[in-house]
Amino acid sequence: MSPKENPSADSVKDKPSQCQTQLASADPSAPGITTSRRSFLKAGGALSMSSLMGAAALMGQSGDVEAAIEWAEHFQKNYRLMTPEEKAEARARLERRYSAEYDKKVSVDGTESQPGVLMGYALNIRKCIGCRRCVKACVEENNQSRGSKPGQRIEWIQVLRMERGEFSQDKMDHGYPEGLGIQVGGNAYTPAGQVLEGQYFYEPEAVPEKDATYMPIACMQCEKPPCVKVCPVRTTFREGDGVVVIDYNWCIGCKMCMNACPYWARRFNLTTPVLPKEEMNPVTHYMGNRPRMRGVVEKCHWCLQRTRHSRYPACVEVCPVGARKFGNLLDPESEVSLILARKNVFRLKAEYNTFPKFFYFYD
Amino acid sequence: MKKLVFHTVILAVCCAAATPAFAQEAAKQEAKETICFESRKGASEITKHEIKPGLPNVKCSPTTGATLWYGDPYDGTVPMGKMPLLDGIPEGKAVVRPRSEKLNLLGMCATACHNGVVPPGFPKHKKPVPIPTMESLLPEVKNLQHGRGRIWCLDCHHSTKRNMLVDHFGDPVSFDQPQLLCGKCHGDKLRDWRDGIHGKRIGEFVSTGKKRWFVCTECHNPHDVQDGARNKGFVQIAPESPPQLPNGMKDAKHESVHGIAH
Repeated sequence: MSPKENPSADSVKDKPSQCQTQLASADPSAPGITTSRRSFLKAGGALSMSSLMGAAALMGQSGDVEAAIEWAEHFQKNYRLMTPEEKAEARARLERRYSAEYDKKVSVDGTESQPGVLMGYALNIRKCIGCRRCVKACVEENNQSRGSKPGQRIEWIQVLRMERGEFSQDKMDHGYPEGLGIQVGGNAYTPAGQVLEGQYFYEPEAVPEKDATYMPIACMQCEKPPCVKVCPVRTTFREGDGVVVIDYNWCIGCKMCMNACPYWARRFNLTTPVLPKEEMNPVTHYMGNRPRMRGVVEKCHWCLQRTRHSRYPACVEVCPVGARKFGNLLDPESEVSLILARKNVFRLKAEYNTFPKFFYFYD
Repeated sequence: MKKLVFHTVILAVCCAAATPAFAQEAAKQEAKETICFESRKGASEITKHEIKPGLPNVKCSPTTGATLWYGDPYDGTVPMGKMPLLDGIPEGKAVVRPRSEKLNLLGMCATACHNGVVPPGFPKHKKPVPIPTMESLLPEVKNLQHGRGRIWCLDCHHSTKRNMLVDHFGDPVSFDQPQLLCGKCHGDKLRDWRDGIHGKRIGEFVSTGKKRWFVCTECHNPHDVQDGARNKGFVQIAPESPPQLPNGMKDAKHESVHGIAH
């Protein structure tokens, strides 16, 4: 048989040429070669992805678009490793999903940190009256879960009630008190200032109570955050303006950071968060208050969706006694800088060398 | 076509049924408007309304009636006016909520008795004397504790322009700028307030940003500064609800009563 009579001669003839191109692709000096291992895998991946997506669409019965969003979100990278285009795409995807879920126009902001800004916080420990308004304002702003079943109510700020210690003569010979918890104040003779779990749950008719001191604690936004050190997937990190944030999509829920944090600042979404549509705050930030999912850790981020646009955090705005102060530590005119210059300041658990940017002060 | 007509009829019926319901609901909402207080109960009330659809100016706590969230921090504010040592702030960057509209006697004060003239029987000297008319209007001033008996009405209120306060030189000061008066004695607090350390400012945190400043009387009641029932200088208010108890913990007092085993 002559080659000319062969009907598949062309294809046979093509084959060597294909081989050639494939061989040529291994040569880095040869330009303009498109077929490579990467593109092959990409094509294969796309194929399997599309079949998966199809399957998901069939299972979910909720339309191709929604399923595609879900799947794309599931496969997105660590936020910090994304290109700006990928970041914008991820945010747009979330906006579409949240808007559909909460029946309103939800915006997911991605404003990066600005140069020349290092956020700082100061709290006047003598003024706090323990009214817990900051706690509730935080919940209003930051879309925490607010159900009634165990584990469904999440609050980022805890207000600690401590009894005032006193050096009274009649108690001087009572010896060292029986230990009940971690002593953070008072003296050796009065079991005062001990942190019992129950002391977060004070519920008097009116505050401030006689002989009680209140100490709100939340994320201290450490300069050397232990939680960032231990995160195995590096989903929590320190931003340029000093705020420690979490990429909730990349969080695997291992709770290592919760163990590492000496300030009890982190919360875990044990259940699917309960967030009624009408109470949802539609102004969100990717690193900040966007609705979280089950099985991820969350914490205070100084209202990034506000502070990146130079608005005060929600807790600062509602404090009825003006105990909470917020500002730029690099600006010598800001209120926090002036407090550091003028007032008596301490940081909680400073001996751990976590260097919090949350300062307690009194005048 | 038939289908379309059918749908239209249904729609029309629904609308007709729904319209009175909507009207009723609107009337109900108007009837019970939400009012919550900012810092001082009874003196810093704010009425909830919508700035844009879905965006209220404030959110109120359902349990204590406290303001919990500001949609627009500058809602209902006016420029602060001239303040010594705050001249560097650009025009319109410092705003306050006017106090005048909270003071229900103010309109009367200006016109009824003290309309710029010295009323009959007015004391000629600066020594405190009982003023029965004023004491019947405001019973709490009868035993004024502010200054522990060292000051009286006319140290703060203008003698002839009673809808104004008075500064060091006897010049009238607006009720919207009480800091000019209070700073006469509380200079350290005025200094801290100017720098944002004392008191409260909301809005933009950058030092060049627009802020709403809270003035003295929004948080402090000058007629009632020494009250035995309060603690640490603040009037007692009801706290918000406590956090959720940990799973399995029945009573918050359990630990302090029974102790923790070591």
